[in-house]
Amino acid sequence: MNNDTIINTVKLTKYYGKQKGIEEVDLQVQRGEVFGYLGPNGAGKTTTIRTILDFIRPTRGSTTVFDLDTRQHSVEIHRRVGYLNGELALYNDMTGEDLLKYLGNLRGGLDWKYVKDLAARFQCDLPRRIQGLSLGNKQKLGLLQAFMHKPELLILDEPTNGLDPLMQHEFYDLLNETKKAGRTIFLSSHVLPEVEKVCDRVGIIRQGKVVAVETIETLKSHSIRQLEIHFARVVPKEKFSNLPGVRDINVQNNILTCTVVGSLDALVKASAQFEVVNIISHEPSLEDIFMTYYNEGKNNVK
Amino acid sequence: MLNNVFLKTLRDQQRSLLYWALYLIAIAVVMALFYPTISKMTAFNQYLSQLPASVKEMFGAGVVDYTSPVGYFSTELFSFMVPLLLLVFGIGFGANAIAGDEEKGTLGFLLANPVPRWRVVADKFGVLVVSMILLGLFFWGGLAIAASSMHIDISILKLGEATLGSVLLALVFAALAFMAGCIKGSKSTSMGVASGVGVLTYLLNTLGGMVGWLKGYRFLSPFYHYMEPNTLQNGLSPVHILVLAGLVVVFFIISIPAFTRRDIGQ
Ligand SMILES: Nc1ncnc2c1ncn2[C@@H]1O[C@H](COP(=O)(O)OP(=O)(O)OP(=O)(O)O)[C@@H](O)[C@H]1O
Ligand SMILES: [Mg+2]
Repeated sequence: MNNDTIINTVKLTKYYGKQKGIEEVDLQVQRGEVFGYLGPNGAGKTTTIRTILDFIRPTRGSTTVFDLDTRQHSVEIHRRVGYLNGELALYNDMTGEDLLKYLGNLRGGLDWKYVKDLAARFQCDLPRRIQGLSLGNKQKLGLLQAFMHKPELLILDEPTNGLDPLMQHEFYDLLNETKKAGRTIFLSSHVLPEVEKVCDRVGIIRQGKVVAVETIETLKSHSIRQLEIHFARVVPKEKFSNLPGVRDINVQNNILTCTVVGSLDALVKASAQFEVVNIISHEPSLEDIFMTYYNEGKNNVK
Repeated sequence: MLNNVFLKTLRDQQRSLLYWALYLIAIAVVMALFYPTISKMTAFNQYLSQLPASVKEMFGAGVVDYTSPVGYFSTELFSFMVPLLLLVFGIGFGANAIAGDEEKGTLGFLLANPVPRWRVVADKFGVLVVSMILLGLFFWGGLAIAASSMHIDISILKLGEATLGSVLLALVFAALAFMAGCIKGSKSTSMGVASGVGVLTYLLNTLGGMVGWLKGYRFLSPFYHYMEPNTLQNGLSPVHILVLAGLVVVFFIISIPAFTRRDIGQ
């Protein structure tokens, strides 16, 4: 294994008794990339992350992080990792400041000036007791404790949970800086636009199985879009049939609806012959994307 | 400065410890204040001495003379009240230490830091032991000061030895609750197991004093090793102390692999 592979899971499988968590997950996360782990509720994202961190033990398979086996070297791995839980639970009876200092001490000290800077960026009210903080403000503390020791690898389980758009933006900036500094990020999400915005590569997990690992470009080119084009006048349907990648065409008076897979080029050129009033694009739902991969997976088997 | 799990756990415990300490001191003082009145009730003593031996057993072993200082403090404090209070504190703490944090979700948060799991177990167990010893010291201190200022004729040292016995007895069940939490990660299960075993072994000891065929099994009860030596009268008995301390150590030792090997919830 080359040492630029930061996380490497090999046929990682976890059953909770009879309940499937994940099955045969093979993931490689490279140094310096932002890797998105995308899947609907209950797909197995948290299970994968908790296995990587050695909180739970795999039924089969194994994982290395920094080329270290997670079962043998969890303390050394934790030293070099920043982690944010999906279901964040902080010590309610501490202030944010006390919490961060305590965690810093467990790591043998902190650059407190950097922590202060981060706190200011995320507008964290550090002297306040955690008990009284709103969900988003707790989440910001969670982010701070993951980033504050400048770890080589960040493992973030649904990091933008509860953040308002402004703070999400701040977080995306922080991700970019972290990436520029050559550090690696593994984050889970069920929001596709978010993953498209910040990640280099995406692993898609569905019902415990990784169905695809793709670069964002490939993912987009595979993506399905529902389009609605409003013309100034009634248009003939024939002009739009047989366009590559265009399906489910429906023309009602001056409105055309269709589904486009991949490039929009052909459709746009065909539409240009007529006077276009408006184009409405519906972001593909996560389920649509999964269905594409799922169906493709099936087709390949044939 | 909070720089390890031990100090953090102790910090979390400080308020609860303070209340329990005040509570125990108050009980010690009140009991000492009542002693002069009791000591004059010699009629009561005659009544007690006529009771059958099996009934006396229920009041606590070796109640020779209820109105004597030793008899009074043995019966009122050390045969039931003090061990019970320490047990309640200890079982609560023991169940909360690992399982409680796990259910709250803060344990997973802690374990993401470079702290080995065995260290978390050891630190939390350490705080359990230290807390119980502190409570014992406060109680003993309160009782010693109250008894000597009331000029009650009793050995301060023996009071300390009896308190240590109670602390050890309670630690056995606290350590059991702690171990159950390390094995299973459920606070209510841990408390249930430790309280259940507590009640059963208590009954085994008291009934064993009355029912012939049970007598041979009394040694299985921690309460037997606590009550039998009649510590306030005779001082600590090394054998019985070793049995209690041994149980605490065994429960602690089992806790470590139990916790390091299993999946963490939340
Ligand atoms: N402790 C557990 N005991 C039993 N089953 C579990 C446990 N934790 C997770 N599961 C099951 O494993 C599967 C994967 O769950 P997981 O929490 O990993 O999903 P997720 O992708 O993180 O979902 P979400 O987006 O809702 O956070 C689910 O079917 C879930 O019910
Ligand atoms: Mg999850």
